[in-house]
This record gives sequence, structure tokens and C-alpha cells, in this order.
Amino acid sequence: MNDKKKYLTEAIKPYTPLLAMEEASRCLLCHDAPCSKGCPAGTNPAKFIRSIRFKNIKGAAETIRKANILGGVCARICPYDKLCEEACSRTGIDKPIEIGRLQRFATDFEQAIGMKILEAPEATKEKVAVIGSGPAGLAAAANLALMGYKVTIFEEKSTPGGVLTYGIVPSRLPQNIVDQEIRYVKDLGVEFKLDCKVGKDITLDELKSEGYVAFVLSIGLQQPKLINIPGINLEGVTTAIDFLAAAKPNNGNIDVSQNVIVIGGGDVAMDCATTAKLLGANKVSIVYRRTYEEMPANKDEVRYVSELGVNIIYGFTPKEIIGDNGKVVKLKAVGFKDDSLLELKADKIIFAIGQIAENSKEIADLNISIDGKNLVLANEETCETNIENIFAAGDVVNEGKTVVEAVAAGKAAADSLNKYLTSLREVQSDDTEVVAEKKGVK
Amino acid sequence: MVKHKDLSIEFCGVKCENPFFLSSSPVGSNYDMCSKALETGWGGIVYKTIGVYIPDECSPRFDNTRKEATPFLGFKNMEQISDKPLEKNLEMMAKLKKDYPDKILIASIMGENEEEWKKLSKLVTEVGADIIECNFSCPQMTSSTMGSDVGQNPELVKKYTQSVCSATHLPVMAKMTPNIGNMEIPAIAAVKGGAASISAINTIKAITRIDFNHYTAMPVVNGKSSISGYSGKAVKPISLRFIAQMAQHPDLANIPLSGIGGIENWEDAAEFLMVGARNLQVTTAIMQYGYRIVEDMISGLSYFMQAKGFNSLDEMVGIALDNIIPAEEIDRDFKIIPKIDEDVCVGCGRCYISCYDGAHQAIEWDEDNRRPSITDDCVGCHLCMNVCPIEGCITPGEVKFKEGRDPHEVIVG
Ligand SMILES: Cc1cc2nc3c(=O)[nH]c(=O)nc-3n(C[C@H](O)[C@H](O)[C@H](O)COP(=O)(O)OP(=O)(O)OC[C@H]3O[C@@H](n4cnc5c(N)ncnc54)[C@H](O)[C@@H]3O)c2cc1C
Ligand SMILES: Cc1cc2nc3c(=O)[nH]c(=O)nc-3n(C[C@H](O)[C@H](O)[C@H](O)COP(=O)(O)O)c2cc1C
Ligand code: SF4
Ligand code: SF4
Ligand code: SF4
Repeated sequence: MNDKKKYLTEAIKPYTPLLAMEEASRCLLCHDAPCSKGCPAGTNPAKFIRSIRFKNIKGAAETIRKANILGGVCARICPYDKLCEEACSRTGIDKPIEIGRLQRFATDFEQAIGMKILEAPEATKEKVAVIGSGPAGLAAAANLALMGYKVTIFEEKSTPGGVLTYGIVPSRLPQNIVDQEIRYVKDLGVEFKLDCKVGKDITLDELKSEGYVAFVLSIGLQQPKLINIPGINLEGVTTAIDFLAAAKPNNGNIDVSQNVIVIGGGDVAMDCATTAKLLGANKVSIVYRRTYEEMPANKDEVRYVSELGVNIIYGFTPKEIIGDNGKVVKLKAVGFKDDSLLELKADKIIFAIGQIAENSKEIADLNISIDGKNLVLANEETCETNIENIFAAGDVVNEGKTVVEAVAAGKAAADSLNKYLTSLREVQSDDTEVVAEKKGVK
Repeated sequence: MVKHKDLSIEFCGVKCENPFFLSSSPVGSNYDMCSKALETGWGGIVYKTIGVYIPDECSPRFDNTRKEATPFLGFKNMEQISDKPLEKNLEMMAKLKKDYPDKILIASIMGENEEEWKKLSKLVTEVGADIIECNFSCPQMTSSTMGSDVGQNPELVKKYTQSVCSATHLPVMAKMTPNIGNMEIPAIAAVKGGAASISAINTIKAITRIDFNHYTAMPVVNGKSSISGYSGKAVKPISLRFIAQMAQHPDLANIPLSGIGGIENWEDAAEFLMVGARNLQVTTAIMQYGYRIVEDMISGLSYFMQAKGFNSLDEMVGIALDNIIPAEEIDRDFKIIPKIDEDVCVGCGRCYISCYDGAHQAIEWDEDNRRPSITDDCVGCHLCMNVCPIEGCITPGEVKFKEGRDPHEVIVG
């Protein structure tokens, strides 16, 4: 397989039915299954693994899809080792059940046979708007449609999906999987308004005057973080967001430089390194300021990039970028804990040290409470903000965690929004009764 | 959201919400257990066999067989009928029927003589059971006037069925022992005695393993053991056969059958329905996994009906019977030569070994490429297909007619 193909093809092979059954047979079918308690989105692995074990793959897909509209996405990119699999009782014998791969088996099956699991009732309830089409927005929209709301998602980019579409490398999450799950959302009757940035192309007040009565704010973190060191403005210095957002939608047809340095130690940094390496960079190095143990990236990913030949340098932090003719030629870094010095040749330096939120006051409502980092202050369980008809979910609240937590928050936002509008409706009908009584109609 | 199929089915004139029942055994031996089972989704209960006789049970009393890493291929038990006082059982049954009026309660009874059978029949009718099952088939009763010794004797089966029927207006079902060559004989005797229905099978007399320290069977009870009943997945093929044979017998044509033996998922359930059972009973799989297995039986069977376009279970009952024919009627005009998919083959050579050592030496092994190829000596037995560890690697290929036979359309499985 050439490297470009490797970039576009899922690195982990799917299970055959027999292998899925073998893995499901390793499951201990626990009584109070800890794996199911470990899933933020409530996907209930114990139940769907049991279904696979008892030859009911459709039932397995049903369990997953009902709990998690992005079941196939999560199957591929959840950090299981820190969630469901961490808690797996089988660890007491040897190693945890490969829950993610089994979930992928069931959702692939669902797609292959064209199963239609979710059906939305007729949309008779109010018009509601979801701002941002990342995992949080998609989950909120799907669940609202399932409750009978008329839902529209507003998305500033031209393709929906948020980080799923513009960030995570295809070798971990192919675009056709993202597209398929977005189709499930569309099939529920959710409308998508693309290329439409709320706060710029349309304001929240305009949306209100169009009849939208409640909002889910799920705009993620769109601004890259940079550090202020000499040379940061040189040509060839870029950010993970920009680099990845160019690569995936173009199926990897981008120009990558010869010597690439990635700064950072999370999954985003790993994705940048994988992308650069598979798309033709000669030499790729990751420079991370702390130790291997402290590095937040999934260890399987660290292993994967190492196998691709990416050089990981621990314990150094960037000090200066040296340029020539306005272009990057070298990175100088110093020891994080000592005064060691490092000089690396480079023609591209990618900063993958995190993202920050845009100002929600400009996007949603001048009065919405945000903190110093622009994060929306919302109740993490109910997603309520200080504005009664705005609910916030996902990265913009939790400062960037995981897809599955964004899904869980999207579901919670949908529930809270529904509770809010339901109570409004009850108040209104009480009011009409009072008015009716006063008029002597009753 | 997902709409599930209606799995209701009529059995012995009783409308059942679904065909999934607990079979008579420890899984349904008190109120709390039955209540939990019904809440989980089981359509009904065959309550643990009750009698006037109260057994004295041994410990331990179970064993299971394994093949490689898989436990519970089959399960052996040394248990007899309920060890609770009769009044207590009757009380719990009455409460069950009162609290779950829409679920079906089948009372399983066993007497030692006509008087006892009559008495039990009357008592369980009074507590509100919907159907009575006569246990003619427990192979480990410590008294030869009870259990499978009775079930092997058509006269006794008929006589006791008559006793039971004389004391009740309820439909009576006779539970058969598989420890016999032709189950049709006692089944017909039961019908002659008034039985409305037949259930099968109870457990098969067996020795699972020999203990190498005490030179006795398993489980070891103070250094000794007994031959006793075997159940679970391993007995399913035997039970399917008995059900099919009874369903095909003209004298049993309209007798509703309840299938028991090794059912643990919806596929097993569908198989029993297809050979003619209208009701399905389960013990061993519940003992191993719990009542929760019914959830996937209901969901899986429902999905299967949708996929195949069945509107009711009735459409499935007995659908395979016409296609299960005597050996002499099988079409023997052709052989189907397997084909091997070289891209899928991993080169283990298991097909080669089995074809050489267990079939017709019709596979050649390419030592350099480590790949098999099938020769003209192939008789189309498909042993290779049975042993190949890779799904879809060896599949049925060309249909070749034997010399002198007229080529015709052949369905390839
Ligand atoms: C490269 C990368 C790799 C990752 N890998 C993993 C992983 O392996 N596993 C994992 O669980 N998590 C991973 N994450 C984190 C995960 O992707 C995020 O936590 C998750 O996507 C957050 O979802 P969200 O819906 O809150 O935000 P986003 O996915 O960021 O979606 C927000 C959407 O809102 C849109 N938007 C923003 N402002 C507006 C506006 N004003 N009007 C209209 N639309 C707007 C954006 O264009 C975007 O489409 C990764 C993140 C990155 C960046
Ligand atoms: C532990 C145990 C106890 C049983 N007790 C009874 C019983 O009291 N009455 C009866 O009719 N069958 C009894 N059986 C037989 C079962 O009801 C059933 O016919 C048999 O086990 C086959 O079904 P299975 O493979 O689903 O277990 C017992 C089976 C087991 C394993
Ligand atoms: S915790 Fe592990 S072994 Fe237990 S049910 Fe979940 S996946 Fe199976
Ligand atoms: S299963 Fe329960 S009753 Fe039986 S031996 Fe174990 S603890 Fe005792
Ligand atoms: S048994 Fe199957 S996989 Fe093994 S050599 Fe034969 S055809 Fe190939």
C-alpha cells in the first residue's frame, strides 16, 4: 500500500463475523457491567456485546444507534482505554474486550444492510436552531428531531461534521463513515444550513425573528493556540487546525514539506504527524515538552506514529524559529526541565498545542456568560447557560475533551431544551385556560 | 423508533405473548424467580415439577462438558423434582397467576400412582394454572415408579395421562423422555390418554466425564456418582430430531408440540419452530446466562421475521418439515465440487489433512506456496468446507452429474 492510500484507508482492520464472535465470546457477560457505566454517551457495551454473542447483530446495532447517533464514529476514535475498556472485568484475566472494534462491527453491519433504526415522529414542535455541526451539534440535533422538533443546524464551513470532517485523520476515521452518520441525522429531518456563520452571516436576533425559539450552541474551539516566540510569523509556520483542515477534505492532495516538526503531545499532534508523514514528508519530528508518561495522546497512536518512522523528542519546548528569506529553516528548542539545547532543520512547523474558543458574545448573545478563555459557562450536566433558551455543549464548554463527551453533552442539551420548551408550553396552556375562564368560556 | 414484530402464538388454545417459556427446572422454582423472568420478557413459565414426594438432593449435583475453551457444551444434573413442600409451591403458583394474569403458567406435576396424579392435577387446576405438564421423563428419580422409567412405558404413560385428564378441564401436555428409540410410541399413548400436547425433550441419561482421582463419573459425590440427565446446546440436534419426527407422524398431526433442549438464542428458537414446535422451553442457557437471554431471542426473532417477511410465527411453524425427507428419497445424481478462494486462504492445510485422513485424498498440497488444490478424486463430501477455519474460503462450486444421470436444476446450499 502506498502512503497516500494508507492515509485514506483505515489502519485497523474490521472484524469478520467469526472474529467478532470470538471476541464477543471472551466477554464475561458481567452482572453489573462496568463497561456500560464507563461510556459517557450511554452506549451500553455490555448489552450490545451480549447481542452479538447471541447472534443478534441487528439488535446490537439498535442498542448502539439508539444511544449514540455517532456510534460508528465513536467505535473508531473513542479513547476506550480510558473509558469502557478501562473498566472491563476481563482485564482481571488478560486484556479487555475490544469494545470499539465490536461496536464498529455492529455499525458496519447496520450500514451494509441499510438498516433504518431511528425514525423521527412528524416534526410538530417548535423550530430550534443548533449552531455548529460537530459531534455535539449533531447529537443534539438528532435527539431533538427524535422528540418532534423542527431542527436546523447552522454551520460556517461548507461540509458538516466539525473536527470529524476537518480534523481527525482518515486512517483513523474515514470520511465516508462521518458522511454516513451525518446522513442518519439528515434522515431524521434535520436541515443543514452550510456556509453560514452565526454572528456574521446571520445573527441570533434574525434567527429569532425567523421563528427559532431555542438554541444549542456547539461551536467547538476554532482558534488555534500559538506561543509568542521569535519567528512565529514566518512562512511555513502553521497550526494543526489549518494543516489538518486542508488535508482531509482534499483527500490528502496537499503539498507537504520535506522536514516537518509538530509541536505538541496530544492526539491532534499525532494526527498532524501521521498526516505529514503519509502525505510525503521526508522527515517528521514531534517535539513535546514533557515525558512519555505525561503525554496525553493515546498510546496506540504514539506507537502507530513511531512505526511510521516519526521521531518523537521529549522534554523540549520551542524557543525560537529561525528563518531565511521569510521562510522557516530551523527550530530552536530548550529543555523544559534543564538548559539542554536542540536545533532541528525544518521547512514546516505545525503547532498542535490546543485550540481556544471564539467569543460567544459575538456569535450568540451579548449577555451570555463566558470565562476568560471564552469558554461558555454552562452546567456540564444540563448544558444550561445563563440565557434560558440557549444551551451549550461540547468543546466550547469543556475546553476540548472527546467526541463521545461532546455526544453526551449534545444529548443532554437536547433533553434540557425539551424540558424548557415543554414547561413553557404548559405555562401557556395554563394561561389560556385562565383567560378562557375569565372570559367565561369554561 | 424500531417497531418489533408481534411474536404472539396460540398454544393448546391458550394465547401466549411469545413462545419463550422457562422449562420446568430450578430456573422456575419459586415466586421471585418466576416474577423476575416474566418481567424480563418470558412469555410463560413451566413451574418446577411438583409432587407429593419430596426428594433429598445431593451435593454437588452438576457438571459440564467443554470442547477446547468453550464451556457448557452440555450440562449434567442430578436433580429431582421440587424439594419444597407442596402447599408452598401451590401458594406461589397462585400468587404468580394472580400477579401476572396475562402470562402463562404451566404446572409440571409428577405422581407415584394414579391417586397422586389425580390429586396433583386437581390441586394445580385450583391454583389457576393454564396448562398441566406431566413429567414422565426425569431420568434421575430415586424411585422407579416415577420419572423416565414411566415415560419409557406407553401403558403407564396412557394410564397416568388419563388420571390427570380425569381431574381437570385444562389442556394436558405430556413431557417425553429422549431415553428411547421411538418417541412417537409414548407420545401417541399420551394422546390416547387424553393429552392435548407433547413436550420434548427432558434430559438424556449420560456420563459427562470420569474423574481421574476417584475413578467415578462427574460430579463426584463423596467418591461416587450416578448416570444422570444431560441437557444444553449439545442435545439440541437430538431434540430437533424428536420434534421433527413427532410433527411428521400422521397420528400426531394436529398435536401442538413444545420444543425443549439446548435453546439459547433466536436461531435455536427459529429452528425448533421450523420443525414444528409452537412453544419453546429453556433451562440450561438460563442457568448459564440468566433470564436476560430472552431479550435477544425476542429482538433477534423479530428481526428475522422482518428480514424473511413472516407476519406471524404461525407462518414459520413446521415450514421445514416437508423438506426433511427419508434418506432413500434424497437426490443422489450429482456431486458439488468445492472451490477454494486463494485470496482468502491462509494456507493452514487443515483441508488437506482432513481430506486425506478422513475423506478421499482429493486435495493436493503445494509445498512451496502452501496452498491446496482440489483434484478429480473429489466426491463432493464437503469435509474440507466443514474444517476450514476461514469463513467463505471454501464454498460450493461446480455441480457435476454422475455418469448416466440426467442433468437438472440443483439447489446449492
Ligand atoms: C485533530 C483532532 C483529533 C482529535 N482526535 C480525537 C479522538 O481521537 N477521539 C476523541 O474522542 N476526540 C478527539 N478529538 C476531540 C474531538 O474531536 C472534540 O472534542 C469534538 O469534536 C468536539 O465536538 P464539538 O461539536 O464540541 O466541536 P467541533 O467538532 O469543533 O464542531 C464545532 C462546529 O461548529 C462550527 N462553528 C463554529 N462557530 C460557528 C458559528 N459561529 N456558526 C456556525 N458554525 C460554527 C465549526 O465550523 C464546527 O464545524 C480530536 C480533536 C482534534 C482537533
Ligand atoms: C438442573 C435441572 C433440573 C431439571 N428439573 C426438571 C424438572 O423438575 N422437571 C422437568 O420436567 N424437567 C426438568 N429438567 C429438564 C429441563 O426442563 C429440560 O427439559 C432439559 O434440561 C432440556 O432443556 P435445556 O437444554 O434448555 O436445559 C431439569 C433440567 C436441569 C438442568
Ligand atoms: S466489563 Fe468487559 S467482560 Fe464485563 S460485560 Fe463489559 S466488556 Fe464484557
Ligand atoms: S451457585 Fe449459589 S447455591 Fe450453588 S453452590 Fe454456588 S453459591 Fe451455593
Ligand atoms: S483449510 Fe481453508 S484456509 Fe486452510 S489451507 Fe484449506 S482452504 Fe486454506
